[in-house]
Amino acid sequence: MKITIIFGGKAGQGPNLLSEIVSQGLLIAGYYVFYSREYQSLIRGGHNYNILTFSDKPVSSNESKIDLLICLDDNTKKIHKSQLKKQGLVIEGEKGNLFYAGSVFKILGLKLEILEQTLKKMNKYDDFIDEAKAGYNFEKRKLIDLKPLKNNSLDFMNGSQAIAEASLSSGLELYYAYPMTPATPLMMELGQMQLDKKSEHKVIELESEIAVINAALGSSMVGKIAMVGTSGGGFDLMTEALSLSGMAEIPLVIYLSSRPGPSTGLATYTGQGDLNLALYSGHGEFSRIVVAPGDIEETFEKTNECFALSEKFGIPCILLGDKHLGESKFITLKNPSIKKVFKKKNWPAKFNSYEHNSEGIAIEDIETINKNFEARIKKHKDIALEVSKLETYRVYGNKDSKNIILFWGSTKGAIIDAFSESGIDAKLIQLLYIEPFPEKIKEELKGAKKIIVIENNATSPLSNLLSEKTQNIIEDKNKILKYDGRPFFSDLLAQEIKRRIK
Amino acid sequence: MNKAEQNKKLASFKTKTIPTWCPGCFNFQILAGTEMFLKEQAQKEPKKEWAMVSGIGCHGKMFDYLNLPGLNALHGRSIPVAVGMKVAKPELNLLVYCGDGDAYAEGIEHLIHAARYNSNFKLLVHNNQVFALTIAEPSPVSEIGYKDKTNPRGVKLAPLNPIRLMLASGASFVARVFADVNQIKQILGEANKHKGFAFIEVLQPCVIFHPDASYKSRTYNLQEKGHDKTNLSLAMEKAEEFDYTNPSNKIPLGIFYQKEKPIFEDII
Repeated sequence: MKITIIFGGKAGQGPNLLSEIVSQGLLIAGYYVFYSREYQSLIRGGHNYNILTFSDKPVSSNESKIDLLICLDDNTKKIHKSQLKKQGLVIEGEKGNLFYAGSVFKILGLKLEILEQTLKKMNKYDDFIDEAKAGYNFEKRKLIDLKPLKNNSLDFMNGSQAIAEASLSSGLELYYAYPMTPATPLMMELGQMQLDKKSEHKVIELESEIAVINAALGSSMVGKIAMVGTSGGGFDLMTEALSLSGMAEIPLVIYLSSRPGPSTGLATYTGQGDLNLALYSGHGEFSRIVVAPGDIEETFEKTNECFALSEKFGIPCILLGDKHLGESKFITLKNPSIKKVFKKKNWPAKFNSYEHNSEGIAIEDIETINKNFEARIKKHKDIALEVSKLETYRVYGNKDSKNIILFWGSTKGAIIDAFSESGIDAKLIQLLYIEPFPEKIKEELKGAKKIIVIENNATSPLSNLLSEKTQNIIEDKNKILKYDGRPFFSDLLAQEIKRRIK
Repeated sequence: MNKAEQNKKLASFKTKTIPTWCPGCFNFQILAGTEMFLKEQAQKEPKKEWAMVSGIGCHGKMFDYLNLPGLNALHGRSIPVAVGMKVAKPELNLLVYCGDGDAYAEGIEHLIHAARYNSNFKLLVHNNQVFALTIAEPSPVSEIGYKDKTNPRGVKLAPLNPIRLMLASGASFVARVFADVNQIKQILGEANKHKGFAFIEVLQPCVIFHPDASYKSRTYNLQEKGHDKTNLSLAMEKAEEFDYTNPSNKIPLGIFYQKEKPIFEDII
């Protein structure tokens, strides 16, 4: 059983709140829920919608066809009607999002008590119940008759919340940022968490991304755990200081939340076009770490590892995500393991952007230059060794299959869901560490008959990386790519996979 | 602290590195003035922790010669590094050095916001009106007509007036001195007493590329003339007196303006 619902309306009409209420109700009823958000770069008006998919089995993506369409405005119906399945239902009218929240509960067969319980859990009972109840009583149709299940999701959150919580658990003290979608949700999470007395971290907005990263390096240098967050354009501005972090050996965690497209691109959409930016930005030769989690549990653990590794080696660690991971809400089924991060005490000392000796003073002599380059090469190897002790990639499906599907980051949900529905024979490999590249991948690909790469971008940088690191050439016809700013739908992706693996 | 320890502390503001500035460079004056100031401070309050940030250019070599912890930052970026250091460690006594390229060109956004934030560090801008270390290209404060190999027809734009810019940006301490050891020591003392961001422009002839010998003789001290440093309008008037171009202008030195306001790291 799998049901997909679209909640659509103008910005300001609250389709997001509506889908949150329905999600919470479904979670209480014991169902697994996932929702993604599509919104435009505007504050009022336009067309925003959430796609919610729930099931009695774990789910982490949406399907393209929908069972239920909730229209907070006329436009929603026009745009999404064609996605409705034959037996699909439409909820529409002049009422608001809370009224229709009640209607959805009824149409799904959820008891009134569950609606009440949901609003209480959200601390919105007194404000919302009258309108929601009116909607519940008004609705007479039934899409399905959901029976309460015993399933228990541990948590329901988006990637930004996971990064925020994991960062604070890792000892984050100062978060610097200049607002840029889709990295800003993290800034908001950490901002709100300042009001929580349990944490003394600060969120500081400065005049530009250049100021942000240089200030973070200043803070890190004198002994605080610091982090910055941005999207591609802001990251571009930061890259000179990324290289400074490498030269002066100042630890820093950087959250890079990609948008699709070059330049300003598409501010509020998702894409994986910045893999090479994360890997190769910054002048000169220095070490970095690039990690790309694909779900909430991984986001917790990889964020935590970023802090630990950046401190241990005095390097920049890039946590690579996108809007789909940062703003979609996922269930978690397993508690992540968070390890204590040790802040290295480096202060007081002289740090230098210029090539320098062990006292931090600029040098230009051949002997010291060679020594420094050799030290950086050795450090690169030390990092690779340390990272190899961690979980650098994951394997799913038939581990002996000759058909291999490779991917990284936020495409995970749709790929896992598509694979489990398709019934095809394949081994799935998800890269968690992109730099240093896990050497074992080469072995994993030995004897492969067909290698398929799935990415949310147009040129498949992962395929190029695989060629470089494993000498496997990925044929164009075996690249499944999507670059329309929207995440993969599991049903369409399953068809794409089946076309390539018979 | 016994005598031996005290002597060690006094000597400790110099590194062993031999300066590579040109003979007669006015940076030696700024370095010596800083050392004298630090020695005096070390005697008065030996427990105070000092640090520095420098940018890139001739001035940046201060970092190699002054034995203070800190960062020799990227070109133009010493100011945000300093902001981050003060946010993380407000008790740090922080001296920040920039050239006119750092402060008035590449990193001018940071200069303006530093005035707005009022983070409690002291900024010295070594203004020699030229990009000296890259061999004499004009900076935003080079005078009209200034020539070098890259612009043989001469500068056409009027120079920026940094004093006016800082006053307009809300800086709580705005001063200008000549690159002279005693003036540096004295103004650092005044800036150190000021709670908040201190902007100190150091007029510094470049002995090789911008050797204006008349500067020192044209200067006068605002405080000696009874200037009211609490009056912003008067400070603006005084800022207009020297336009960085006209060789007959008098050059006011000293504190143009001073007024305490909340400090960034205290209020965030």
